[in-house]
Amino acid sequence: MRNDISDRRAETGESQADLAAAVGVTRQTINAIERERYDPSLKLAFKLADHFGCRIEDLFEPADEDG
Amino acid sequence: MSEHTTSATTRPSTRKRYKRVAYALLGAGILALWIGIALDRFVLGVALYWAGGIGMGLVQRFSPVELYDERDTTIERKASQNTVNVFAYVFILGTPGGLALEESGVVTLPGEFYGATWTLFAVFVVFGASVLYHKYRS
Repeated sequence: MRNDISDRRAETGESQADLAAAVGVTRQTINAIERERYDPSLKLAFKLADHFGCRIEDLFEPADEDG
Repeated sequence: MSEHTTSATTRPSTRKRYKRVAYALLGAGILALWIGIALDRFVLGVALYWAGGIGMGLVQRFSPVELYDERDTTIERKASQNTVNVFAYVFILGTPGGLALEESGVVTLPGEFYGATWTLFAVFVVFGASVLYHKYRS
């Protein structure tokens, strides 16, 4: 799943660890999401969207292989 | 990446620390078991091993931070799936293959073969029951 979490994080000046703590996961999980190696659960996607004050579809979009 | 020292950034390291304590307790328990066996104090070794295991469980249960997140759970689920797949092939192909070889007089199967076969059978019965349980619950 493509996403722009890394860019949004850069805008707010947050580290991966800051974001991880804010949404209740490990820094490794945020890293894996940003590198598109892990698709978050719907619950975590909502938390991330809520954190950045946007909608899930603003944050994520299906990668080509997702169909 | 720059390291921050806000309270938010301390959380993952706290998580890591608790994980280390949990695994250290289990490791100490296993070590105590080996030492107990080596010194012919088997019961004491087992007691310490259990204490280590229970200690690990208590740390995981009562730590102030969640030690595992959803990605850890996903990784575990995938690993479990791979393990089941590997042993399914071993069970489905290996058991009849072994029995056929014994029947044709090529090999004489040791008792361990039947022990392993029944163990795998029991594992797959539990797995099947668990699948059915979750299927009807969801």
